[in-house]
Amino acid sequence: MRRDRADTRRLWLGPLWTWVALILLFAINLGSAYVPLGDGNLAFNLFIAAVMAVILIVFLMDLRNSQVVIRVTAVAGLFWMALMFSLTFSDYLTRN
Amino acid sequence: MTTLARAVQEPWPDLRTQREAVGLGMWFFLASEVLFFAALFCSYAVYRSFNEEAFRAAAAHTKIVYGSINTALLLTSSLTMTVALRAATVRLRPLTMMCLGATAALGIAFLVCKGLEYRSDIVEGLIPGPNFPLSPPATEIFWGLYWVMTGIHAIHLTAGVGIVIVVMVLFGRGTIPVQGSTMEGVAIYWHFVDTVWIFLFPLLYLAGRS
Repeated sequence: MRRDRADTRRLWLGPLWTWVALILLFAINLGSAYVPLGDGNLAFNLFIAAVMAVILIVFLMDLRNSQVVIRVTAVAGLFWMALMFSLTFSDYLTRN
Repeated sequence: MTTLARAVQEPWPDLRTQREAVGLGMWFFLASEVLFFAALFCSYAVYRSFNEEAFRAAAAHTKIVYGSINTALLLTSSLTMTVALRAATVRLRPLTMMCLGATAALGIAFLVCKGLEYRSDIVEGLIPGPNFPLSPPATEIFWGLYWVMTGIHAIHLTAGVGIVIVVMVLFGRGTIPVQGSTMEGVAIYWHFVDTVWIFLFPLLYLAGRS
């Protein structure tokens, strides 16, 4: 019984710390949106969002313990996304 | 046949390899989903680069309270989903079921909150078209993207809630054992839907607050 409880505690502990970090970052993001930084607001908010996404993917989706082929697949999605953004903006930002 | 033997499907030699295969398959699917959502994010970025002030003005009208509650709900659902997966891996069936139930409940709470938010948006007339209440006209582009992006995200979450409920029923009936590879795919999909929201929140709710 005591061992079961210890096992359950161990199962919660790691994800709980990750959740605390995510909630803290969310609070920082929400609070900072009301600080007048001009264009810096959205840039900062997106930076915090990216940090949150990395924490979620690495710790909750457990990419840190995944095989190399899974990591490569995850990075491939980001690579094609980066390509989409760069090709789209190379058109729009160079018009006129 | 033991539950462990039932959990392993052909052609996999053991449960560990099977779980990795399910994870890889789901990541392949998510890589295509990333591109699907990236097209929407890219549209947002292009239109915002040309209509910065209009986007700022339009974003100030999204309902930050609903958006914030929903962010907290989804982040918490990712915690319960992770514990459900870890409990399933070590065959703690009651904890797996409890955490899956909590995850589905949090997902449903998100959808209810979203419904209330949509109702409030509709009452304010924030639907692009004739008699749109905001100006300049480019604010309609922001609100068009708002409906499409949050709508598609809500469809993904609804699918996630449905899958979680079906998996709970199958676990409950003993059709599939909890320590099988099913939870691996379900958990990865759920976290992905959460990750998309993490980016939607600053773009739709935080822009234009200062």
